[in-house]
Amino acid sequence: MNKILLIILFILLLLVGKKRGIKTFITFIICFALIGLYIILMRFGFNAIILAFITCILASIISLFFLNGLSPKTLAAFFGVLIVQIITFILIAIISVRANIGPFGEESLETIAGYNLNINYNMMNVVIGVYLVSIVGTVIDTSISVASAMNEVKENNPKLKEKELFKSGMNVGGDILSTTINTLFFALVSVFIGFFMWHRGMSFEQVINYKLFVYEVVELLIAFIGSVIIIPVSALISSKMLTNKKSDILVDKIRTTIKSAFGD
Amino acid sequence: MKKNYILLIILFVLSLGCIIFTYNDHFLYQTPIMRVTSIESKNITEDKYEEPLYVQTIKGTIMNGEYKGKTYETINSYTKSLVMDDKLTKGSEVFVELSNDGSDLLGIHGVKRDKYLVILIVIFIDLIIIIAGRKGFKTLLSLIVNLGITAGSIILFMNNYTKMNLLLLYFIVSIIYIVVSLFITNGKSKKTLAAILSSITSLLITFGLSFILIKINESNLYIWNIDYIEAVYDYNNYLYVCVLLCGLGAIMDISITISSALNELIEKDKKIKKDALIKSGKEISKDIVGTMINVMLFTCYTSVIPTIVIATKNKIPFTNAMDFYGGLELMIVLCNCIGIVLTIPISLFISIWILNKKKEVMKK
Repeated sequence: MNKILLIILFILLLLVGKKRGIKTFITFIICFALIGLYIILMRFGFNAIILAFITCILASIISLFFLNGLSPKTLAAFFGVLIVQIITFILIAIISVRANIGPFGEESLETIAGYNLNINYNMMNVVIGVYLVSIVGTVIDTSISVASAMNEVKENNPKLKEKELFKSGMNVGGDILSTTINTLFFALVSVFIGFFMWHRGMSFEQVINYKLFVYEVVELLIAFIGSVIIIPVSALISSKMLTNKKSDILVDKIRTTIKSAFGD
Repeated sequence: MKKNYILLIILFVLSLGCIIFTYNDHFLYQTPIMRVTSIESKNITEDKYEEPLYVQTIKGTIMNGEYKGKTYETINSYTKSLVMDDKLTKGSEVFVELSNDGSDLLGIHGVKRDKYLVILIVIFIDLIIIIAGRKGFKTLLSLIVNLGITAGSIILFMNNYTKMNLLLLYFIVSIIYIVVSLFITNGKSKKTLAAILSSITSLLITFGLSFILIKINESNLYIWNIDYIEAVYDYNNYLYVCVLLCGLGAIMDISITISSALNELIEKDKKIKKDALIKSGKEISKDIVGTMINVMLFTCYTSVIPTIVIATKNKIPFTNAMDFYGGLELMIVLCNCIGIVLTIPISLFISIWILNKKKEVMKK
C-alpha cells in the first residue's frame, strides 16, 4: 500500500516540479530514513536527546542545503533552526520532567500488551527527543521562508540597512504565521476526537491534568511556540548575514572544504 | 509607540497573573491535592542485571478541602524506564485519595499538570502578540474559532455517536474550517474566494483518491494501531477522518499562498498573460512543496516513535515494528503529501480562473 502511494507521490512531484520535484522526493526519503535511523540507534541504547539533536541537524542540512543550495540565506536559515531547537529543548525539558508527561496510559495497554515495559531505557528522554524531532519540519519551513523573502527584498533594494531588512523579515514572518499555525493545528487535531470519545465521562478538571491529554496538547503548543520563535531569530540572523560581506566568504570557504573532502 | 508599551505591560501582568493563579488554584478542585514537602528515593533492586526500581518515601501537605494543612506520608515507586510511572520531586503536586475519616492516605491518582499547560499557553500567546502584533492577534482569533468548531463537533458526535456518520460530519466541518479560517486571516476578497474554492476542490479530489486507494487495500490494514480507535464506534470512518483532517491545514496553506501570489502579480501588471502567471505560480509552489511535505512527515509520523521504541526494545525486528506500528501513520502522511502536490495545479487553475474574471468585470 505505502509503496503504491510512494510511486504516485514520485510521479506527481516529477510532473509538477521536474528536477526540483525529484530532489524533493529524495529529501523526503532521506528524512524518513533519518527517522528510521533515529529509532534504530535508540534501540542500541544511545541517549535519545543527543540522537534527536543529531537527527534535527542532519534533517535541516538535507532540506536546506540539498534542496535549496548553499548560500548565505540557507546558512542563515540553518543557524536559526539550530538556535530555536536549543531554546525549545530547554523549555520542553523543564515542562516534560516537571509535569511527568508520557506517551502511554491505560489506553495504550492494548497496543503495547505483551511487551516488557521495563526496557532499561529512559522514556522521558524519548519523549523530549520526539518533541524535538516533531517540530523540526515546521521550524525549517518557517526559517527558510523568512530568509528567502528577506534575500528577495535585499536583491531588489541592495542599499537596505540591517534594521530595515530585519523589519521586513518580521513582516513576512507575520504573514506566514497564520497558515503555519493552521497546518500544525490540523495535522495534530484528529487524535482529540478519539481521546474524548474514549473518556466520555471525564470531567474538565480531570482532562486538563490527564497524562496523555497533556502530552498531546504540549506537542501542539511546542510546535506553535517553535514556529513563532523562529521568526525573530531567523530575521535577525538573516539581516546580519545578508548585509555582511563576510557571510559570502564563509559560504565559499564551506564550499571549498566540502569539495576538498568529497572530491567534487 | 507609548501605547504599545502600555499594552505590553498589561499583557505581561495578565500572563503573570494567570500563572500565579494556576499555581494556587487548589480550591477549585474537589479531589484532595497533596504537595510533596520532603522526599527520599531508594534503589531497591536486588539483582544487578535487572532494571533499577526506586521507591520514594514521600511526606506532603494537603492543599485543599476538608483536610487542608494535614500532613501524610506515603510511598511511590518508579522504574528507570519511566514508561508508565511518575518520578516525583520535592514540590510536585499530586491528586490523592483519602479515607472517609481522613486518617489514611489510600493512594496517589496522578500529577497536577494544569499549571504547565497554562505556562505554555501563556508563553505562546505572549510570543505571538509580541512578535506578530496585529497579525498575531488575527492568527489567535482564527485558532480560537477553529478550537471552538472542533470542540463543538466533538461534543455533537459524543452525544449522537450511534446515529451519526463520523465521516460525513467531518466533511461538513472541514468545509466550515476552510471558509472560516481563510476569511478571518485574509478578509473578504476575490483572492480569499479563490483560495476557498481551490482548498475545497483539492480536499475533495485528495480525499476521493485516498478513499479509493485505502478501500482497495483495506483488508491489509491493521487499523487498531490508530490511537483510541476502540472508543470510536465508527472504526473505518475514523481512519478516513484522520486522513481528511491531517492535511487540511497544508492544503489551505498552499491554496492561499498561490492565490495571493497570483493576485499580487495581476495587481502589479494588469496585462500579464496566462502563461506567465502559470509559470510564476509553478515557481512559487516548487519552493513551498518540499518543506511542506517534510512538515507533514515530521509532525505526524513522529507520534509513533515511542511505541516502536518499546517494540524494538522487546527484540521485535526493526522493520516489522516500523511496518506494524508506523505503517498506517505513514499511509496517512503519504496520502496527504499526494494531496499537497495535487493542490498546486488545482489552485493554479482555479485562482487564474477567478482572478481573471475580476479583470473582465473591471473592464466592463
